[in-house]
Amino acid sequence: MSRLLLIATALLFLGVFLLLPLLAVFVQALANGFGAYYVAVSEPMAWAAVKLTLLVAAIAVPLNLVFGVAAAWAIGKFEFRGKSALITLIDLPFAVSPVIAGMIFILIFGAHGWFGGFLRAEHVRVVFAVPGIVLATVFVTFPFIARELIPLMQAQGNADEEIARSLGATGWQCFWRVTLPNIRWGLLYGVLLCNARSMGEFGAVSVVSGHVRGLTNTMPLHVEILYNEYNYTAAFAVASLLALLALLTLAGKNVLEWRQPELRPAARRPRDGTRREPA
Amino acid sequence: MSIALRGVTKQYGDFAAIDDIDMDVSTGALTALLGPSGSGKTTLLRIIAGLEIPDAGQVLFDGNDATLWPIGDRKVGFVFQHYALFRHMTVFENIAFGLKVKRRRLRPARAEIRKKVQSLLELIQLGGEQDRYPAQLSGGQRQRVALARALAVDPRVLLLDEPFGALDSQVRHELRRWLRRLHDELHFTSIIVTHDQQEAIEVADSIVVLNRGRIEQAGIPSEMYDLPNSAFVHRFLGQVNELPVRIRDGRAYVGPIDISAACDVPEGGGKNVALIRPHEIEIGEPASGWLATIVAVRVIGPIVRIDLCAEGQPLHEPLEAEISRERFEAEHFSMGQKVGLRFRRWQVYPAAA
Repeated sequence: MSRLLLIATALLFLGVFLLLPLLAVFVQALANGFGAYYVAVSEPMAWAAVKLTLLVAAIAVPLNLVFGVAAAWAIGKFEFRGKSALITLIDLPFAVSPVIAGMIFILIFGAHGWFGGFLRAEHVRVVFAVPGIVLATVFVTFPFIARELIPLMQAQGNADEEIARSLGATGWQCFWRVTLPNIRWGLLYGVLLCNARSMGEFGAVSVVSGHVRGLTNTMPLHVEILYNEYNYTAAFAVASLLALLALLTLAGKNVLEWRQPELRPAARRPRDGTRREPA
Repeated sequence: MSIALRGVTKQYGDFAAIDDIDMDVSTGALTALLGPSGSGKTTLLRIIAGLEIPDAGQVLFDGNDATLWPIGDRKVGFVFQHYALFRHMTVFENIAFGLKVKRRRLRPARAEIRKKVQSLLELIQLGGEQDRYPAQLSGGQRQRVALARALAVDPRVLLLDEPFGALDSQVRHELRRWLRRLHDELHFTSIIVTHDQQEAIEVADSIVVLNRGRIEQAGIPSEMYDLPNSAFVHRFLGQVNELPVRIRDGRAYVGPIDISAACDVPEGGGKNVALIRPHEIEIGEPASGWLATIVAVRVIGPIVRIDLCAEGQPLHEPLEAEISRERFEAEHFSMGQKVGLRFRRWQVYPAAA
């Protein structure tokens, strides 16, 4: 009886807080029929926003992938001075509001910022242009992969690598054949979170983008603009694309897990519950 | 291959994990490094493997200075307590790993690798299990796979770090005997780290007892059991009863028993203890020795353990004696019975040690 009650509560909660909003997005997007939906998403400005969002994610995620693995490797497998300081530093983007993150880049690269004069002389645009958006996104999504891997690599220790080395494997072979397979599920999960956040980031990007339609508008920014213009159908249509991208990444993860059934238990690890971000 | 350590020292901050150790391991011998946790035995093994670099001293392989050789060049097989099998690889892939990562020029052909792995699978009695994953094996099977993986690259020395520590006692016993047989067949040089004196005595040709980063004593197991050279080794290699020694008129006594005959009467005013193993206590008629009362009897298969409260000794510190089941049944010892104790053998050490 109590079990049923628990399950019912969980399902109700899921329904109200997760499924219902998701459904609402699609219902609202299709409120005026498929024709209107198609017009809204194929409009050039919307399409430009989709392309920019994908471009930013395509740069930010690989960068943070390399950084995250390197940082987690250093922290998980070696002892060195300043390790706890490094861990704190990695968490910084979680602690700082994204708006402030955006302001930092304005301060550094803006017209009146530290490097403003230099950049203008070199005709390089950072703020209110694509490089600024990429920088802000990299900053905000900085901790996702590293945070996912650090506890995993710390728990796994060095034994596997030591064995591999004693069997004659080089450092490279060790990494590709032993370390990477050991962390691949955590890594995949980190990449998915990082990807989702870099496509969905609003605050920091909003500050540095300048909202130039067709040039520096990412999908979340475009949704906001449409919404502010009372163009609800179009706003929700673009929002539904964003939601669709998120659903696709989750589906991709499940397919990958399903194709490697014998490895699934290894992926199920307790994760730290400290991940939280300010609004 | 023979291994020699000369003046090897390793510090961690202010803590000397290994303090100026000299040690020799002869070719084909199975040597046990025995000691309590924190004694430095694992650090020593890791230095030999090349997983740690000593701060001072030399590691010699067959007389060549191997102190700074990278781990991959040492040709050591390493086996951990927790197996460290590659969990994403099958049993076959695990064992073949060392062969597959060889440089192209040195790498055996596929068929050759297959043959070698098959023969190792037979050796570890896991033929037919090559497609399983580590998670699908029992602890004992995993450790055998770890051993086969280490043997696949034909190591010159096999290093085992508490290899049976995570297994239950039944499996541990079987695996120990199997390792000993394997060692006798293949004749590789092996060093096994353990904190279990039973294991060291059962499996090793020679034992090195470590304490606080130094060697307390090294030698053949049975000799060390009978003739430990310090109270530490005496206590560590088996159960002991510790009794205060009293000196009167130039003779040494434990209770009313004169033990001067088989030991040097300690000089000076310091306190001394006599260490006596449970099976070295003889139980007889009350008049035959130190008067004692039987306070507990436990029959443990072929032996019987008897707790005795000797006259003049504190009640909460009963002596422990061990006699054979046959003897126990012939004598009909029972709780509360008065008996007389004598000692077959003992050793006296300064009490501070």
